[in-house]
Amino acid sequence: MNTIFRRLLMVEWSGLLAAIILGAAVLAWLSPAFLTEFNIYVMLRSFCVALLVGFAQMVTLAVGQLNISVGALGGLVAVLAGGMMEKLGFPVAVAVPLAIGIGGLAGLLNGVLTVRTGINGFIITLATASAFTGINLGITESIPFYDMPPSLVAFGSNRFFGFPYLLIAPIVVAALLGLFLARTVPGRHLLAVGGNPQAAELSGISRDGITMLAHALSGALAGAAAVLAVAQLGSAQPTIGADWLLLSFAAPIIGGAALTGGHVSVLGTTLAVVLIALIENGMVLAKVDPYWVQFVLGALILAAVWLNRWRAVRTGMG
Amino acid sequence: MTDDAIPTSAPRRPGLLGASAQFGLFAIVALLWLVFSTLAPGFTSPINLFSIGRSLAIDIVIGFSQMVVLATGGMNLAVGSIGVCAVMASGFLLQDLGLPIPLALAGALALGAALGWLNGVAIVRTGVNAFIITLASASLFLGAMLILTKAVPYNGLPPEIGAFGRMRIGGYVSPLLIIALAIGAALYVLYRHSALGRQILAAGANPRAAAMSGVPVDRVIVISHTLSGLLAATAGLMIVARLGAAMPSVGGEEWLLPSFLGPVLGGTLLAGGSVAVVGTIIGAALVTTIRSGLLVLQIGNFWLQLFLGLILLAAVMADRYRGIFVERRSMGRR
Repeated sequence: MNTIFRRLLMVEWSGLLAAIILGAAVLAWLSPAFLTEFNIYVMLRSFCVALLVGFAQMVTLAVGQLNISVGALGGLVAVLAGGMMEKLGFPVAVAVPLAIGIGGLAGLLNGVLTVRTGINGFIITLATASAFTGINLGITESIPFYDMPPSLVAFGSNRFFGFPYLLIAPIVVAALLGLFLARTVPGRHLLAVGGNPQAAELSGISRDGITMLAHALSGALAGAAAVLAVAQLGSAQPTIGADWLLLSFAAPIIGGAALTGGHVSVLGTTLAVVLIALIENGMVLAKVDPYWVQFVLGALILAAVWLNRWRAVRTGMG
Repeated sequence: MTDDAIPTSAPRRPGLLGASAQFGLFAIVALLWLVFSTLAPGFTSPINLFSIGRSLAIDIVIGFSQMVVLATGGMNLAVGSIGVCAVMASGFLLQDLGLPIPLALAGALALGAALGWLNGVAIVRTGVNAFIITLASASLFLGAMLILTKAVPYNGLPPEIGAFGRMRIGGYVSPLLIIALAIGAALYVLYRHSALGRQILAAGANPRAAAMSGVPVDRVIVISHTLSGLLAATAGLMIVARLGAAMPSVGGEEWLLPSFLGPVLGGTLLAGGSVAVVGTIIGAALVTTIRSGLLVLQIGNFWLQLFLGLILLAAVMADRYRGIFVERRSMGRR
């Protein structure tokens, strides 16, 4: 019993899981509205976009890069998807893959610029973020596309009891991403480059290629998140993605990702997003000022950073 | 590498290069002025010159608030949040507490410095990189400000504040611009002529070597972050003067891009160890000129973001390739 408990403690997401169970128990006890079918649906629905946003940042953190442009890229993909469906009349089956592909290409552009110029990825993606937002606003002049295909809107709002159909997408993506990072050669290379770029390069891995791959993947994931957001909102708002930056870092970091690269966790990031969704939901149920969400998210990141560091020091000594 | 970059060890790049980079930047600004004033005669009207100068003052100080932490090789994503905290603090002190203006402004500046100090202490104590600490603290500060003020603006400030913002010296010079340039001069002296300034740059260029030669690296980082908070608060108060009111919507993430644009365009290295005070001013001038020019030409704000992004990209890439080019040429000479 004792050893099982100890082993659990060593698993990095154990604290998150405990916090989620505790939080859910407290909420269920305090608020009768918490365990209703509709509330669970609302919570799971808000979880979908957030998880993909977290993944979009996670893959760049994996190679020791970062992507300031996730939100801007998401906003651009959202309005392009909306424009393709409303103005050009593309069917959903064409527009959605195309939109995600554009996201991937925009991410690849980030990667190519970072690798070819050798300039810090922070500055490159800060600049491209501004450019993507500029194109978004230039195209839409801040006016959303409202006329979305009914099938997409239905996918974004229909549910099976408390289970929103929208949730299928992030579950599939999480499974694929987990497999990719754990079982495929490029996925392992990604983590190897993040862990120790020199060693990875010496063992014949193309560091530049892997960095570009990570950025392209990040763009595609942000694009997927944007498409889900369009489905969820029922319209392509130019403001989609405007508040993704903090969330995109919060999820993987609370989930135990190392900022230096080489270590990320699909499960940890997922649990972190569950925790964030739970906290936001609890605040809504408690009718707390919505501004507290911002405050708590910041505090949570600091706590997670401190905890990760504490764990690193302890395991380093042990 | 720039007029006022102080090489702490061996000069990393020839001095002429930096001067030429700033000259290039200056030439671009001058060219844009020529283009805008030919296309739109209203561009050089006294009222527009006044309004450009006032915006420029704010852009310069925002740029400085980022530059002083870039000097240590760090960054401060919380500049906008600290700025807006100072804005709302000034509103609270003036309107709710009815403090005299100098005292209220000093209080707001002190809050900015204190928030910056908190950032610095958190970074030094945890050893976690500045990016993530200031990303989290930006959210904490902004959240706390919104919780405390309920996002209600302060509109009943003493009229002297707004009058100062509208004041014109000699027809078109805003006193804010003079303040910004005076801050620039003070920073120039700090980095060029004071022991503290040299210590900051040494710590930024190579923390380990600096520590070995007796520079209190941790203390220098905390001081730089405190200074950054103070400057962000200053920029916030300048906006209060311009608007004549304390709005919760200024600052925030909107400052992020301009805060990096000025220093990076001006030639401040992200890796730390150098600052370019004059460069930051010219970089800010470029940003302000483009913003005002697009406004006067009525191209609209929508494409502005795209222009700013492309200019930042072009500038960092140009700088990169010029560096490579100069390196090759000097190797050829040998």
